[in-house]
Amino acid sequence: MPTLSDTQLQALARDLDAIRDEVLADLGERDARYIRGMVRLHRTLELGGRVLMPLGFLPPVFVAATVSLALAKILENMEIGHNVMHGQYDWMNDPTLNSQRYEWDTVCTGDSWRRTHNYEHHTYTNIIGKDRDYGYAVLRLTDEEPWQPWHALQFMNYVLLSVFFQWGVGLHELESEKLRRRELRWRDKWPFLKAFLRKGGRQAFKDYVFFPLLTLPVAPVVLAGNACANLIRNLWASTVIFCGHFTADAETFTEAECVHESRGHWYLRQLTGSSNFTGGRWLHILSGHLSYQIEHHVFPDLPAHRYPEISVRVQAVCERYGIPYNTGRFSRQYATVLRRILHYSLPDRLRARLRREPPAQAI
Amino acid sequence: MPISTSLSAATRRTVLWLGRQLANQDNPGAWLDPLLASVNPLWVQAYTPAQVERVERETADTLTFTLRPARRWAGFQAGQHVTVGVDIDGVRHHRTFSLSSPPTLWQRQGRITLTIKRQPGGRVTPWLHQHLTPGQTLALGEAFGDFLLPEPAQPLLFIAGGSGITPILSQLETLVAGDARVPMTLIYCVRTPADVIAAERLRALDARSPALTVTIVTDDGPRSSRHLGDAHLDTVPGLKARQVYLCGPQGLMELAESQLLQRGLRSSQIRRASFSVGPARALAPGTTGGTVTFRRAGVSVDATGDASLLALAEAAGLNPRYGCRMGICHQCSCRKTGGTVLNRLTGKPSGPGEETVQLCVSVPAGPVTLEL
Repeated sequence: MPTLSDTQLQALARDLDAIRDEVLADLGERDARYIRGMVRLHRTLELGGRVLMPLGFLPPVFVAATVSLALAKILENMEIGHNVMHGQYDWMNDPTLNSQRYEWDTVCTGDSWRRTHNYEHHTYTNIIGKDRDYGYAVLRLTDEEPWQPWHALQFMNYVLLSVFFQWGVGLHELESEKLRRRELRWRDKWPFLKAFLRKGGRQAFKDYVFFPLLTLPVAPVVLAGNACANLIRNLWASTVIFCGHFTADAETFTEAECVHESRGHWYLRQLTGSSNFTGGRWLHILSGHLSYQIEHHVFPDLPAHRYPEISVRVQAVCERYGIPYNTGRFSRQYATVLRRILHYSLPDRLRARLRREPPAQAI
Repeated sequence: MPISTSLSAATRRTVLWLGRQLANQDNPGAWLDPLLASVNPLWVQAYTPAQVERVERETADTLTFTLRPARRWAGFQAGQHVTVGVDIDGVRHHRTFSLSSPPTLWQRQGRITLTIKRQPGGRVTPWLHQHLTPGQTLALGEAFGDFLLPEPAQPLLFIAGGSGITPILSQLETLVAGDARVPMTLIYCVRTPADVIAAERLRALDARSPALTVTIVTDDGPRSSRHLGDAHLDTVPGLKARQVYLCGPQGLMELAESQLLQRGLRSSQIRRASFSVGPARALAPGTTGGTVTFRRAGVSVDATGDASLLALAEAAGLNPRYGCRMGICHQCSCRKTGGTVLNRLTGKPSGPGEETVQLCVSVPAGPVTLEL
């Protein structure tokens, strides 16, 4: 992380606040029309998927229905649910787009997500030990965490996490690592578990019981299509999210660095701890504009469809202060993520030899 | 009629439960709204939609909107109000207006009317005047208010000022249509004869009912600064036995009330409909603090200085949900049902009505009520 003086950090905060204020003042009809258009598209895709699925015994229809349902889930989770729950559209004063009431089409409950993601992850971004999103307590992605033998299998764990991503996200707040270490008792987690089981049950009931039963003669087809749609959504969401903070150049921080931090330092941490990827308009929309992860972390509650235009100004600010702006093609960024997962699965000495670098200091 | 009305309560409950599982929403019927709205805006389920059928000019600054609400709207009694929701530049605004039509118009034709005066400098009423044209829809709340006619009938006196005539129009038309025989007097105070709202309807009522006396009091220029004088009240026969209905600007209502009490009427004989949809006041910098009411907890605190709503709630012993305490995470977002707050980050005041605010960066500017 580039070191900026307190004065520079203050100026950085002022510059970014100015961008934020300007966008806030400009919010209006255009943003309302955008998000309502997305909601309408989601309803069309989901309805289309559900109606076509029973005809899925015809292979082309199966593909169309599955893709339609998968796109619906992706759109609802990423561009609508995630962004609405950040409060990006609270200013519209529309109860159906209200951050605190919204409940999304995935296993994780809205309440749990608002606690673990909106608060923990966005406040303590990439601070090892405080941001549990950094590796999800499953993956080792930094030197800060000492290597342990089970890390050798972490690529397999990564694949499993991606395949069952919605369940992993749903169970994130269980803090299983703390339960394992006996820092928490199961009893403490019972309220969370109850909510998790209710929501998880609801999601499983819908896709794996209700719709197959409704179309009983073709139940296996519907079951398979729904499972495929969930799988596609899981893989895509996981991939996009991993590109946000685990690329090669995304930085991590220590708790000590962030004691009593200023708003400017918080901004700097968001800028250097996140990474973008480039692509076409629909790639951005289907990623919920998390392809603009940097802008999202700097301004988590500005409507995400504004990030492309905000990005130009954020890059100019970064340049002014000599702050690196981490972006690249989607494939390149994702490749660095995979490499990072593999690298840190190795013991430090072996990893250093592979990279022909001096070994990281022993902890 | 929707199919659901013919289903038994148990079946309805089951369908609702199922809908909630499938749509992840408390009101699963609203899930299809975005698609239904593009077919027919009156099919929207998230709120009761009402479509504008006609717009008529009453005076230079007042229009009457004839609306057709979706059939599931529950109706109203003469003298009640409704809260109306409209989206202006992407933001949903709510304002309360009196219904100016008699309930029979709704029962027979499915129509209601709202008579709305443009508030100069306001955010909503000028927009309604300019943009609410036939074919458009708005969100209609259920009717409320206890400005209701007495049962059984008794002698009545209505005192209205300006656009305060609207609930009284509904009441008078109801009374006259019901062939009421009790003595009824309307004293209607306006600035000039051109400011009389629904002049035609009032004339027709006056002509049709021998029991009704309509007096228009104007305040033309410097001749009289007091709208309501002894001359008007003293000519009302049997004044002390009348049930009085007041609706109009604050000053007029206070004046009328004190004059009536002086004449020996009991305050239980007087019903008031408060009527102040003034324009949003611009806040002078530094005007923070005020009484904050946490409605659910039933607690009020007096705030001074620039303490945030979150800090105030915690100081009052409440335990609201919060997160970053710096305006990022929206964990502490809460429904404000009334009052104005300043956003500490932008320095901007909120609207005066119901909306969601972030407790950690909102500072009260005057009395505020929260759903907490």
